[in-house]
Amino acid sequence: MFFLHNLERRVTLHPSYFGRNMHDLVTTKLVKDVEGTCSGDYYIIAIMDTFDLSEGRILPGSGLAEFTVRYRAVVWRPFKGEVVDAIVYTVNSHGFFAQAGPLRLFVSSHLIPDEIKYDANATPPQFTNNADMVIEPGTHVRCRIIGLRTEVGEMWAIGSINGDFLGCLQA
Amino acid sequence: MSKTIRLGNRLRYPITIVKLLKRPGDVVKAQEPLMQYSFKWMKTVGDSVRGETWEEEQTSIVNWDSPSDGDLKEWLVREGQRIDKDAPCFVVKEACSHDIQFQGLCAICGKDMTEVNWAAEERDTARAPISMTHDLTNLTVSADQALRTESDLQRRLLQSRKLSLVVDLDQTIVHACIDPTVGEWQKDPTNPNYESVKNVKAFQLDDGPLGITRSCWYYIKMRPGLEGFLKRIAELYELHVYTMGTRAYAQSVARIVDPDQKLFGNRVISRDENGNMLAKSLQRLFPVSTNMVVIIDDRSDVWPRNRHNLIKVLPYDFFKGIGDINSSFLPKRKDILPGATAEPVVNGNGGSAKAKPAASEKALDELSEDTPVTQAQLEEQERTLEKQMKDRPLQLLQEQQDKEDEEAAERATLQSEDGDDTRSSSPPPQRHQVLRDDDTELAYLERHLTQLHKAYFAEYDRQQSHNGAATVDARAIPDIGPLLDTLKSKALRGLKVALTGIIPNEIPAERSEIGQQLISFGAIILNRVSPNVTHLVVNPQRLLTEKLKRALRIPSIKIVSPEWLAACFSQWAIVDETPYLVHVDVSNWPGRGAARDSDAEETDDTTKGKRRDKVLRLKPSLKLVSASGETQELDDDSDDEGDSDDQDDEEELALMPDDLEDGQMSPVDGLKTFNWGSADAELDEFLAGESDDDEEDEGETQDTDGVTDADEPTPSRKRKFEGEEGDTEGEGGTDSERGSQSESSAPRPRSGQAKKLRRTQSVRGTSSLRNQYVSDADGDGDGDSSLPTPQVTGDEEDVKQDVDLKDFDEAELEAELEAELMAEFEAAPDAVEVGGEREQEKG
Repeated sequence: MFFLHNLERRVTLHPSYFGRNMHDLVTTKLVKDVEGTCSGDYYIIAIMDTFDLSEGRILPGSGLAEFTVRYRAVVWRPFKGEVVDAIVYTVNSHGFFAQAGPLRLFVSSHLIPDEIKYDANATPPQFTNNADMVIEPGTHVRCRIIGLRTEVGEMWAIGSINGDFLGCLQA
Repeated sequence: MSKTIRLGNRLRYPITIVKLLKRPGDVVKAQEPLMQYSFKWMKTVGDSVRGETWEEEQTSIVNWDSPSDGDLKEWLVREGQRIDKDAPCFVVKEACSHDIQFQGLCAICGKDMTEVNWAAEERDTARAPISMTHDLTNLTVSADQALRTESDLQRRLLQSRKLSLVVDLDQTIVHACIDPTVGEWQKDPTNPNYESVKNVKAFQLDDGPLGITRSCWYYIKMRPGLEGFLKRIAELYELHVYTMGTRAYAQSVARIVDPDQKLFGNRVISRDENGNMLAKSLQRLFPVSTNMVVIIDDRSDVWPRNRHNLIKVLPYDFFKGIGDINSSFLPKRKDILPGATAEPVVNGNGGSAKAKPAASEKALDELSEDTPVTQAQLEEQERTLEKQMKDRPLQLLQEQQDKEDEEAAERATLQSEDGDDTRSSSPPPQRHQVLRDDDTELAYLERHLTQLHKAYFAEYDRQQSHNGAATVDARAIPDIGPLLDTLKSKALRGLKVALTGIIPNEIPAERSEIGQQLISFGAIILNRVSPNVTHLVVNPQRLLTEKLKRALRIPSIKIVSPEWLAACFSQWAIVDETPYLVHVDVSNWPGRGAARDSDAEETDDTTKGKRRDKVLRLKPSLKLVSASGETQELDDDSDDEGDSDDQDDEEELALMPDDLEDGQMSPVDGLKTFNWGSADAELDEFLAGESDDDEEDEGETQDTDGVTDADEPTPSRKRKFEGEEGDTEGEGGTDSERGSQSESSAPRPRSGQAKKLRRTQSVRGTSSLRNQYVSDADGDGDGDSSLPTPQVTGDEEDVKQDVDLKDFDEAELEAELEAELMAEFEAAPDAVEVGGEREQEKG
């Protein structure tokens, strides 16, 4: 699920950047540092704006200036049970891997409807029910997240396409 | 899915079950109390300060908590039961067996497997320990799941009558290099190598090691006939790629070899996913059964556990002298047949050849720890690659070839036999190419694989009809290993092979790579040359072996070069020996005459190309004599080396030399870099100024040669030498006398030297015992047996002077030491005084 989240971060600026457009630089640096990262629980998708920029304080010893920036960002926090759209990138006999934005999902063959079978002879190998459903690298699938695990900077999820309205998306 | 849970080892046995808290049918949760048990233990009570303590038996009642979730099906213990050791406790029906796990998540129920459960002895992640997918390591499965997947695979393959074939990339189906020369040659149609490199494919990798090789071009040459080979083989086998290159490299190569992904699909495994830097293992892909898997690889040592499934192919060596660019991680290969596949030692590539063993040694040392190896080896590989980029071994080779061509062109008019230098047979009309595209291995390989496929399914059908079962049973699947072994063992049956000069002596022939291969092909290895032996494989670079000598007396033994073995291995048949016969020129063989005359050797120098090596190794003892006067310091070193070299030669008759081809340092390596040109010039100068005395010597030498050329040289020559020996004994004295008389003129001492040298050499040839005796009996000032070298015996006066000088130095040194000692005992100013005295002495 997406949220608009107020966050705070300390940004340091090298003395060579000190000058009139310092605040712009701080924002730029913030965007560069933060956007697209995973904080553990959620992904920071985009920074909307900064609404509070403290005055810079010189760090003793290094000469860098430190700003405390408070900003508003769009974050995505995947939940268990959430339904996401993803793109398949690897298929093997145990299941397939799909990517929903930054999140990597694995959908195991146990969580694929029984009529969709693994076909190793196809090139590339695919899951198919020999009708409209063909899951191969590049296919868009809709799946439900049934398990999530996070580590610093990374998240993994287990998905399922066993359910109504889940599975291949017709483009 | 029922699972039996045991009590575990952590309880204080013996225990007594007190009460069962749950009944069959109840839902249990992990870490929830299921029963109570009691155990007895001794407690120390009393006053420990006063030392009045005693032990009392206590009985405690404890809850036992469930290690897992699920429905309780059945208790296997009852209340009041006494249990002495770990035993099954209850049966639970689990909701999920966590058979497939992805990055610590159960891929079936989505539960986090890394959660620690204190009631369980085993972590949940350990339930799915097997990684069997090609391109990922974080997807693991349990043994059950692996078995299921694999029997699915086998069923599918059997239905389509296919087998699995694991294909290595480097030097098996392609040869890769990063030498930028290739790119230049590709752009230049006038280059002699243009035709060869025209079809070389190239790609760039971004993920390579940092530095110069970061975004270099990789040049990939496919083995001739690869496309057709793979297409036809893919109908019989399901193909997998298994390489020690990186993932990106493997995929890039796979894209080149198989652009439509029809052959390999996504069945590509690289070292990134292998989990082991040093060895490949079929169990990584087929954890349960390798019954239907065949491997083709150019190295057998990387498959320690899967030899029976392996078909070893001849390494594809298109870019000469490059080797395998991804082999820095692997142990150095030991199976190179000298002469056949030995990488030509290009000066520029010497570094990389040397770098590899170092890496492998490290690798072997740190076999257990993975990360440091990786780091060190990554650096190693980077260095090797960088070396290749900078040194451009191919360009060097071509330059060498061009030079040889020029020389050959000059010589062509003179009709010298030196002209054909293994590469060219016709008079060279143009520049010769270094790279040639004449590999035929794949044709044979295809034949073998087809044959094997046929044999396998014949066996399978036989079993099927025998069982009468239509369904595929996993146990009924024949194992391909023994089948392949029997198929191979027919290939060279009846051969009795002896090897000489090929395997280092300390390794038993049966255990060496070549030996193992020979045995696997059904040949018999004999350690001694006897009339039973059918073939003797000799190393053309080392012809002076005892075995060869003996084999020459037995006409039934075919003496062949290692190329013959390689051809047999690749064709799985006894190849016609004729093109591989090694012609041993007996007349020129100094070992035969039981004495070695270095002068004679020197005159041979130009006539016998393949003996050049030998001669080169004998040269030092000659040259250094002439140079000894001038550059003393250098000569001291090289004299020693010359010594050891000589001894090597002496021993060579009985003992095979160590493997020197593989880039190891030989004792004479230092000499190779020695500037022979200048030494030669110097010698010529000396020779030009020589007196008639020396000419007489020369005449004698030629005489000896004449005798050597005769049909049965041994006895007469021996006699001759004995005569000569006596002669020289007599002459020697006069010579040295004369030498000392006319010491002032430069050539004189040299003539004496030469004489002496010859004497010692000829004497040495007879026997080592004799050598010892003579050198002792020589009675020279330096009759010391530790210095038997001829070059030292040269100028007696000089040597003596030298010795005296040394003695003097030593005395001085002693005095110095004494002085220092004294200085320690006495006061500081005195010491200074002593020091001053000493300095004066020195001056």
